[in-house]
Amino acid sequence: MPVSLRKILNVLRARDDWEQSLDDELSSHIAMRADDLERSGLTRKQAVRRARLELGSRERYKDEVRAAFGIRALDELAQDVRYALRTLRRDKAFAAVAVLSLALGVGVNTIVFGILNTVLFKPMPGIVNPQELYFVGTTQFWSVSFPNYRDLRDRNRSFTGLVADRIVTAGLNTGGRSEQIWGFLATANYFDVLGVRPLLGRFFTPAEDVHGNAGQVVVFSYAAWQSRFGRDPQIVGKTVRLNGQPLTVIGVAPLAFRGTELFFAPEFWLPVGMQPQLENVSYLEARAANNFWVTGRLARGVSRQQAQAEVDRLATVLAREYPQINGGFRYQLAPPGLIGDGLRGPVETFVSGLTVLAALVLLAACANLASMLAARSSDRFREIALRISIGAGPARVVRQLLTESVVLTVAAGAIGCAIAAATLRWLAQYQLPMPFPSIQFNVDTDADPRVFLFALGASILTGALAGVLPAQQALRMDANQMLKGVHSIASGKRWAVRDVLVPVQIALCSALVVASLTSIRSLTEAFKANLGMTLEGASVVAFDPRLAHYGEPEGHALQRRLVDEAATLPGVVATGYADTVPLGLGHSSGTVFREDATDFRQSQGINVTQMIVSPGYFKAIGTRLLSGREYAWSDVRQPAGTRIAIVNETFARRIIGTANAVGRRFRYGPDADAEVIGLVEDGKFQALTEAPEPALFLPATRVYSSDTVLIVRSRVSETVMANQLQQMISRIDPNLPVGSSTSLASYIRIAYFPTVVASVLLGVFGVIAALLAVAGIYGTASYSVSRRIREIGIRMAIGAGPRQVLSFVLGRTSRLVAIGAVLGLVSGVAANRLLASIVYRVSDRDPLTVIAAALIIMLVAVLAVSAPARRAVRLDPQQALRQE
Amino acid sequence: MEKSAELLPGTLDLLILKAVSLGTQHGYGILTRIGQISGGALNIEQGALYPALFRLERKGLLETEWGISENNRKAKYYSLTAAGKKRLRLETEGWRRLAAAMKTVLAAGEI
Repeated sequence: MPVSLRKILNVLRARDDWEQSLDDELSSHIAMRADDLERSGLTRKQAVRRARLELGSRERYKDEVRAAFGIRALDELAQDVRYALRTLRRDKAFAAVAVLSLALGVGVNTIVFGILNTVLFKPMPGIVNPQELYFVGTTQFWSVSFPNYRDLRDRNRSFTGLVADRIVTAGLNTGGRSEQIWGFLATANYFDVLGVRPLLGRFFTPAEDVHGNAGQVVVFSYAAWQSRFGRDPQIVGKTVRLNGQPLTVIGVAPLAFRGTELFFAPEFWLPVGMQPQLENVSYLEARAANNFWVTGRLARGVSRQQAQAEVDRLATVLAREYPQINGGFRYQLAPPGLIGDGLRGPVETFVSGLTVLAALVLLAACANLASMLAARSSDRFREIALRISIGAGPARVVRQLLTESVVLTVAAGAIGCAIAAATLRWLAQYQLPMPFPSIQFNVDTDADPRVFLFALGASILTGALAGVLPAQQALRMDANQMLKGVHSIASGKRWAVRDVLVPVQIALCSALVVASLTSIRSLTEAFKANLGMTLEGASVVAFDPRLAHYGEPEGHALQRRLVDEAATLPGVVATGYADTVPLGLGHSSGTVFREDATDFRQSQGINVTQMIVSPGYFKAIGTRLLSGREYAWSDVRQPAGTRIAIVNETFARRIIGTANAVGRRFRYGPDADAEVIGLVEDGKFQALTEAPEPALFLPATRVYSSDTVLIVRSRVSETVMANQLQQMISRIDPNLPVGSSTSLASYIRIAYFPTVVASVLLGVFGVIAALLAVAGIYGTASYSVSRRIREIGIRMAIGAGPRQVLSFVLGRTSRLVAIGAVLGLVSGVAANRLLASIVYRVSDRDPLTVIAAALIIMLVAVLAVSAPARRAVRLDPQQALRQE
Repeated sequence: MEKSAELLPGTLDLLILKAVSLGTQHGYGILTRIGQISGGALNIEQGALYPALFRLERKGLLETEWGISENNRKAKYYSLTAAGKKRLRLETEGWRRLAAAMKTVLAAGEI
């Protein structure tokens, strides 16, 4: 029967009217029936009683009327909600604890989902049909050389377009100063293939791609246009200077577009033809230089597998044509955004670890809520029995209980959402700790409706789950028994479901506590690990002469001059420079061969980390020289002389074959070999958790790199020295942008980032888990005390002392906590194995950690039961006995 | 309290309309009136009456007014609206036709 909206509103407005009216009508009916019955001989009293019985329950009429109106469901829901709110208001403490613990659970999970969404699910913004895009990279490096890219591009039929890009940096000259900015070199088809339309102006044309005749043009990102040019509407056509060169701005990219990599937001795009002039060395014809990233859009009707097969075929062709360089290489397709699968592995591990932790926290919060609800519902057995007896169907009762828990969880969900939204917004602004402050490495985690839908779903699901338990108990009740006062469920059974929840909570808490203690411990270990350099006393300053338009000879001279100048500063002990530092960014690698090698294909060589270092570098950075010598300024390029090299212990072992490497040789290729003149100790280069890597140190006197990190070891504080270095540089050349000047320890802190993040997160989770456990135990213990006030009173009256009372009341709870703690500690130790992949050098049988965790759990338990315990002991027996 | 098995919901409405058409009456009175004029053959379940009255009132076929009964009881009196009269006429026609058709079918084959 369709009921129009207006009628519903009318009915709802007149609700009290009709209910009252019906009451009156029924009363009058009874009265008149009673009159008739009285006339037939019954007494008034009998007549009224009979009339009432005949009519039956009034509530049923009201129900039927409501059903007749067709709004029964809505009305009942409103009733349920009002009732739930009323009962919750009565029990404020319970409601607060329940809502807060659940808010934490939902909030944490929503944050994790938000991160998950950004990193793995959300399509990259601003790109048309991103699901058709695939990153194409070599399996070894994920990057491809430009000549190989060209061949792939020209010879394939699976892609409608293949683009290549490369991260570059340049100095933007504004006013008199030069500021370092980061962006992409990109092929002309870049924007076309990605399907991006310009916000202003236009994008590249193929003519601008031509090597040697590259158009001097630049496209800026929306962010750059906003922050650096104040959203100038006349920007198109204007000239800007990059590295001293004038370039014409031809366009601005739209707001959402951030390029094809998740972690990097470029400020500009330059045509790839400008690469040689920008970097002072041309990679465009260097087939062996794998330093471009390639992305392609699948042609219509072509599947990923088909494209992969063709790429495999092309790899074989290229290997045949260039056996030395391409022999043994394979190309692979991967979804774009995480540098092929380069970042995917660590990111996925990290994110799944995070998800598991968050799920555990939510479980703990659920367990909390469920046990508290169950405790409360057993308080209300009588009330529920009453309702059943006056005609409420069991379904109705269950629905009311569920409504109560859903109300709680929706409130909690709203709070959790708010927390999550704020945190995600903060994360979106948070810049990963890069040594170059100007680089934009962040993750765009801003609010996505999917995330909030998730939070809503999670809350409702939790509410339903948590409410199921008391609802089940309600269904199993025998109403008559209930009314008589026999609690058939509360007594008699040895282990109620509620008793399982307490150990579960404690187990989860313990596991999390163990995990967080372990990771904190490993963090301290990580800081003490042998890095192969001495952090204390070392300051660094990074710069790039190319950004101030220095060519190679001038740049080289500048480097020498700065090193010499720095040596004259007061307190300085040693100076040197290199193209990067260990555990810094921008490491290059090279391929070398043994002296007796015969197969010189790239894929058969040994990959080594490569650094370019000046004389004095090792002394400055604190790496021990084991034998041989450091470079000298006199080691300049010899036209026909042998190449020289300094290597580390692992290199010596693996490539030279002996620890006595000095004087021995190795090969770069069939016609190029080098002699080892110095041996240094091992160290860490890419990550804290890496195994010992072979490293090769080339002489800066012979090989030039404009990337420069000046390293100064001094007796003054590192930050003071860093400032002095910065001032020194601006004295010598005020136009040279300085990347960052700080202590060596701060400079490399990006290497600690995963460990630090993992430890911080685990610590936070550990604290949350402990809080939840406290809340849960408190709730259960408190309930236990309040249920048995009478019994406690009796025992006290017959002479039980405080200790007996406590053991009576809390005995069961303590047993459950103990069981849970043992379970949790054991599983926490097992979890340590999982942690080993992210966290540094975790020993999974570390007794100290387990003992500390056990102590913490005991403390938590004691804290939680202290209030109820005090209450139990302080009971006045007379009061207690009077209470029901 | 089981619902009346013999009466379909539609027929109860029709009976009520007919009963009220004979004169404004309160709920209890409608009950007794139907019993009376059917000669005791039709006895409405007390529980079914009031929801039906409410339904009919909501549909606009009955209108109500509070008044005092013969025994000085306060009671809610029902009377037919114009729509109610029309509906009664239509339904009665329909019933008569149905009853005639049923009679013909059930009598088939009897000599």
